[in-house]
Order: sequence, then structure tokens, then C-alpha cells
Amino acid sequence: PLRLLLTSLKLLALFHLLWEYLLSLAPAQGPSMLATYPVTGTWLLTSRLHRLGRSLSVGDTVTFTIPERPNSIGIKRVIGLPGDYVLIGTPGEFWHSGADPAADDALMLQVPEGHAYLVGDNLSVSRDSRLFGPVPLALIRGKVIASMHPSFTRGPFAEFQWVQNPMRRDEPPSKEEVLNARLGR
Amino acid sequence: MATAAASSSSRWAPKMGVFTKQFGHYLLRYATWLPPFIWFNSYVAEVTLINGPSMYPFFNAHYNERLGRDWCLVWKMGVRERLRRGEVITFRSPTDPDKVVVKRVVGIEGDRIIPKAVRVMGEGGPGRKVLYPVGMVVPEGHVWVEGDNADKSRDSNYYGPVSAGLVTGRVAYVLRGWRLVRVVPEVVGRR
Repeated sequence: PLRLLLTSLKLLALFHLLWEYLLSLAPAQGPSMLATYPVTGTWLLTSRLHRLGRSLSVGDTVTFTIPERPNSIGIKRVIGLPGDYVLIGTPGEFWHSGADPAADDALMLQVPEGHAYLVGDNLSVSRDSRLFGPVPLALIRGKVIASMHPSFTRGPFAEFQWVQNPMRRDEPPSKEEVLNARLGR
Repeated sequence: MATAAASSSSRWAPKMGVFTKQFGHYLLRYATWLPPFIWFNSYVAEVTLINGPSMYPFFNAHYNERLGRDWCLVWKMGVRERLRRGEVITFRSPTDPDKVVVKRVVGIEGDRIIPKAVRVMGEGGPGRKVLYPVGMVVPEGHVWVEGDNADKSRDSNYYGPVSAGLVTGRVAYVLRGWRLVRVVPEVVGRR
């Protein structure tokens, strides 16, 4: 009776807290990450320990609240962290037809403190920071750590794979690499 | 004496066992109230302190006189959908995601805002480039926040419109002296 109600309320509160602060699992759809995830049918496991932008690195896929539509959640890849220089446009695409292509293509921006630059994998159809600018880190809900394609025929954990960060470097660049990069420019 | 000591010690040992069992039992019972308590604080309402002089004299009117800070009740349910002009809201700072900031909503989406730099300096003075001479429109899903204490406030005049997704709550009541004052939306001496 009353005790059952109280216990179930406590369990609900605990579950909600775990969902918001530890792990959550949700379906994802949309073509903006087509290179990595199909348009529908993917379920993503997000680590909420990485919310508010904690311990993120460039190349992580993150879920975040869309700045213009606070009721929607987006999934994009972190391209720039505070202080990084990122390209505003898309290589090969020009905003102003007829203008100097080199200038347009090479517009860069330094990501302000407390913000991140998020870009989707499918550059042509992705509405991301190239459209709405750097996103405050506080809007980031978590980092995607695993993906799966549950289906009725293959079970809930079909094609489960841990997400690897393709841009991660484990050691800082060596002196030769830095010198070559500077001289080659 | 010896018998009394012996009997008291023999009475002690069982009580110790009973005590730890009871203590553990009650600890567990009260510890299970922790998740609902945390959930309530994060999603319904929270009692917190206001730090800083950016909302002087509305909050911390004695900022220069005393160390005490104002206590307030922050209401968190359904705030993001019902943001109104003149409300005092709490939100995560766009420049530091770990910090929660308290400011007043001056403009909601669609409003035209003239940033303070233009208001104060007119055209920005000779030789200064002014970015928004005719003001800017607050984009969809964003609010323009300003602190009541214009000089000492780092607000939208510094980091621009704030996305409603950053809003964590609305300050509903503040404790002034011994009275609980309800905080109502009001526009503080402005255009």
C-alpha cells in the first residue's frame, strides 16, 4: 500500500538520477551522421558522466540540447574545444558565389571559452555549429560510448559495438612532426 | 563491585550488537531517501544562496556591508517553457559549464535588444566599431539576460543571448530579513 508507493517512487527517482547522471540509452535518427550511423534504427548508449563537457576530446560523438530548439537533442561530433581554431565553412563550399573561393573556404574561428564546435559527419546535410555557431559546453548531455541496432529478429543487442574516437592521439606529436607541420605550411 | 562490573560488561556486549544492527537498519532506511531528495533538488525546487553583486540591490543589498548572502528558493519545474520578461532565472554560464548564474530575463525570443555598449556610448564613440547599431533580435529558443547591477554584471552584454536549454530554474522566493518575498517578473528601470 503506502510503503509500496513510497518504494516505487524512490526507485523511480533513483532510476531517473541514474539516467541523467550515469548512462542513458535512446534511439537516434537523422541523416547528419550518415557516415557513422544509418538514418534510423540505431540506439546509442551515452555516458552521462561526460555531461557539461567534462573530459571531452576532439573526435568524440556527443549528444547535446540544440540551442535554438531546447526541446530537441542532437548528436554530433566534437571538432573544436575551447581555444581551438576551427573552420567555419565547409571545404569546397562557398557562401558567396563569385567571391574569392580561397577566402571563403578558409574562414576560421577560435572557439570561445566554455564552448565547443560540433560538426556532423555528413557535412552536406548536417545542421551543426557551422550553422548555429559554437555550442556552450553546458548544453552537452553526454558522450556516445556504444551503438546497437536492436531488432525483433536479431535481439536487443544486435551489432553492439563500442564507439572508438577516430581522432584521438595517445601521445602528443613528436618534435619532427611539429616542425614538419610548421615548415610545410 | 566485581559482580556489578561483570554484569555491566555482560550487558554491554549484546547491546553493542543490537546497536549496530539498528544503526545499520535506520541508516539504510534513511539513505534510500537520498535519491528522491536529490531528484527533488534538481528537478522541482532547491534552496540556495545568491553569490556576487551582479543583482544588487535586488539580491545581496548588503553586499558591501556584510558577508551574509541572500537565501532564495529556486523553482525548477517547467521553467524552460515559460520564460517571461522580468523573471529572475538561474542558468549555466555559457563561459563556464560548472557555474550557475543568476540574472534577470530582459528579452525573450523575437525581441529586439540594443546591447549595453551601444546604449551607453551611443554610436560607440569615434573610431570604435559598433557591431549592432540597430540592435539585434534574440534568436529562437534564446533569452537575453542582464544583471540589475549593470556595471558589475557579466551577462548577455558580454556573451550574447543565452539558449533556453541552459536555464536551470527560476528564483521564486527570496528571504529578506525575516520575510519571504515572492519574486515577481518586473522590468527594472529600463526602456
